[in-house]
Amino acid sequence: MPPEYVQIVRAPIDVAGLAAGLRRGEDGAVVVFEGIVRSHSGGRTTLYLEYEGYEAMALEQMRAIAGEARARWPIDRMAIVHRLGRLEIGETSIAIVVTSAHRAPAFDACRHAIDRVKKSVAIWKKEYFADGAVWVEGEVIQP
Amino acid sequence: MRVKVLFFGRVKEIVGRAEETADVEDGADLGSLFHSYARRFPQLAEMERSTVLARNQKIAGRSECLADGDEVAFLPPVSGGSPGVRDFSPGT
Repeated sequence: MPPEYVQIVRAPIDVAGLAAGLRRGEDGAVVVFEGIVRSHSGGRTTLYLEYEGYEAMALEQMRAIAGEARARWPIDRMAIVHRLGRLEIGETSIAIVVTSAHRAPAFDACRHAIDRVKKSVAIWKKEYFADGAVWVEGEVIQP
Repeated sequence: MRVKVLFFGRVKEIVGRAEETADVEDGADLGSLFHSYARRFPQLAEMERSTVLARNQKIAGRSECLADGDEVAFLPPVSGGSPGVRDFSPGT
């Protein structure tokens, strides 16, 4: 697996496989973040979500985020995998895995990466409720 | 000249399609392309400040000129972070 691994998938993300593929003997820490589909939003019960993306651009943005993180923190490798399509409650929409000799930079790099993905990557989320659906538009895309 | 225009999220629903080919005048910029759609779709005009444009998969300013064969995308806001839970450190 390359040091910066990014992927967009439409099937369930194999997070354990991702983490196993990334870790190496020189690592002392593996930090895994999973974003999962929550059953409620703003007091309403969510039925399911649909994600869509501008895949060519999103992959390039994800690659840039992983590259920035590896330049800024002394980590080993980073993987960012995002799932698109219909996702049910509890399913994983994004997984970020960071390996590192020590835990502190792995936590910091992982937190930074998920925040950047949420604010800047060309992927959109539509929430479906019993009485309608809404595109979640939190932030104007940042460069 | 012709450019390919891609629509995502709420913009895609407003325009009613995911992509189309647009004929634009030589020297046209991204802003003029956006306005041609905003005239057709008033709801899009309301999203002028929140819609970011990309040219050939890179975020681009409205004054950037188009070239024949470009791929332009209209990008509405993304989900961002959860409001109100950004800082939950103890003591803050």
